[in-house]
Amino acid sequence: MAANNSQGRSFGLFLTGLTTACAGIAVMPGGLGVALLIVGLVILVASFAMFIKIKPLEGKPALGAQPAVMKLVGSALSAGGWIVALFGLHLTSSVGGRMAFAIIGLAISLVGVVVILPSACNKNAIWKA
Amino acid sequence: MKKFRNKYLMCAVMLLLSMGSAGHARAQSAAADLKAAAAAAPTTTQLSQGDPGGTNTGTISDVPVSNAKAGVTVGDVANQVGQNKIAINFVWTLVAGFLVMFMQAGFAMVEAGLCRVKNANHTYMMNFTVYACGLFAYWLIGFAIQMGGAAGNGNLGGLASLSGEHILTLFGTHWGLWGTKGMFLSGHTYDVGVMVIFLFEMVFMDTALTIVTGAAAERWKFLTFCVSSVLMGAFTYPLFGNWAWGGGWLSALGSNVGLGHGYCDFAGSGVVHAVGGLTALAVALVIGPRIGKFNRDGSSNPIQGHDISAVLVGCFILAFGWFGFNPGSTLGASAAGNLRIGTIAVDTMLAGCTGTFASILWMWITKGKPDASMAGNGLLAGLVAITAPSGFVSTVGAAIIGFVAGVLVCWSVAFVENKMKVDDPVGAISVHGTCGLWGVLSVGLFADGTSNYGGAWNGVNGSVTGLFYGDASQLVAQLIGIATLIGFVFTFSFILNWILDIVMGQRVSAETEVAGLDLPEMGALGYPEFVFKPEPSYMTMAEAQASA
Repeated sequence: MAANNSQGRSFGLFLTGLTTACAGIAVMPGGLGVALLIVGLVILVASFAMFIKIKPLEGKPALGAQPAVMKLVGSALSAGGWIVALFGLHLTSSVGGRMAFAIIGLAISLVGVVVILPSACNKNAIWKA
Repeated sequence: MKKFRNKYLMCAVMLLLSMGSAGHARAQSAAADLKAAAAAAPTTTQLSQGDPGGTNTGTISDVPVSNAKAGVTVGDVANQVGQNKIAINFVWTLVAGFLVMFMQAGFAMVEAGLCRVKNANHTYMMNFTVYACGLFAYWLIGFAIQMGGAAGNGNLGGLASLSGEHILTLFGTHWGLWGTKGMFLSGHTYDVGVMVIFLFEMVFMDTALTIVTGAAAERWKFLTFCVSSVLMGAFTYPLFGNWAWGGGWLSALGSNVGLGHGYCDFAGSGVVHAVGGLTALAVALVIGPRIGKFNRDGSSNPIQGHDISAVLVGCFILAFGWFGFNPGSTLGASAAGNLRIGTIAVDTMLAGCTGTFASILWMWITKGKPDASMAGNGLLAGLVAITAPSGFVSTVGAAIIGFVAGVLVCWSVAFVENKMKVDDPVGAISVHGTCGLWGVLSVGLFADGTSNYGGAWNGVNGSVTGLFYGDASQLVAQLIGIATLIGFVFTFSFILNWILDIVMGQRVSAETEVAGLDLPEMGALGYPEFVFKPEPSYMTMAEAQASA
């Protein structure tokens, strides 16, 4: 089962929820803004509930399970390298020192992006079966 | 003493009187000049005779007067000059934006041409629909996040209503995080200048969104693509866009911590292309490779696209649209160094040219044939790479940047496919991600310090200058930008799309993928009268196994 009217309804609900929530933020502060934001968030949650409900009906994809812990580690390394680069700005004021921190931070991030995450996502790939 | 003081006072008074009378004389002279010009303007009778040479059209009679009795004054003329400057800049920015919008057609043709015929409708539809998804999300909230605090642009009249930036004060310095004005373009942001900047920034945002569709083509569920694109247009892109272009912390690295002119990205190698390319990588990782792309031993199989002519014509459409992308990023053609638009346009063309040569030569020498799809990718790689430095470099720098990008894209495509085992049907990750990052880096190397956009950039006086021209700190600012792109944008996109995969599933079912996405997802074939050629044996075997 591929595209169907349930998908259409759920996407419509998603757009309605997002629009309403954004309208609430736009007219804040004020009671109307808060009300619109809450209504919008409720509709958004409802749309996501619909997404979850229709997902099993759409058939099994050709995708193996991707280990969550490994993906989290990869994500953490990717973000962590960025933090190292930023931290270097305050640790030293020399151009060379900041450049070194930036390069070290980039290297850490790249380990996460280029090594860990692809390994995690391909761990149980169907082509390995 | 008293006599001397009196004489001094008398001299001062005489001087003031003479200055006043000189000024009065000048004013009288100017008024007389204006009156004379008004008197010499063509009469209605003369104009009714027609004006084939254009010498009688556009005169002092066309200057709006504030006081009909007084006639044209210097103030009226000055106001008209100001209006003209803004009008020129408006028209330039809008037309450039229209060109960038047309790039959507180019992207659609490139991506669909590189995919199989059974997925043509779906691929075209993703590129078609992403325009609506992104525009809507950007109108709702994305523009406000990105540009809500971007007041101060003199080219477009000041944009004073975009005066809300959420700031974090850290270690005694202010860091802009996101904007707060401009949702729904309503209230004070219902403004002529804001409309221009909205249109221009919106088409750039849509370029970033459409890049992702290429990497996930032939297996991305249409519903999830729609939701993912809306969220990217609402949050992912605008956040980094604010940090780089909306007065946020990355652009303030120069004024806050002395790193050159802060993160400099003239037209978006980072903001648009790297954001798109890295998000494409994130989605491709989550969604997995196409059935039959990789064998059990890890070797990859080529999956031919169905229309190389669409690919190459699409690349030319993109190259044409890039004349809006780069030169248009001056946001004006009048004042503040904007006459550099010709240099920027030539830099853009040159980088595309050398990128094409580099890719063709690389493939010809290493693989024996001048591969057409890589030639197209080489053109795009050069254009992507020059996007950030285009406003700051010479033609020699542009040629080198483009050439390096043309080689880099070939290497990167092989690396992503063979080492990372990530399936990217159109090379979006390499063209836009890898070469986008190279473009960001090249600002820090090749910016030659000759540009002058009003005497300052990102609030730091002087011209943007890279390492090769004497400023190593600019390179550090660019490296921080690259670290942010990889460390924040990629990670944010990966986690967001991972969550979407859990909630709604990113990938279509194996049966749908085998049949082709056109009928199951779109309800119609892209080419209903075509007789499909049987797929290679390795493909049918993989598909049978996947469906089992």
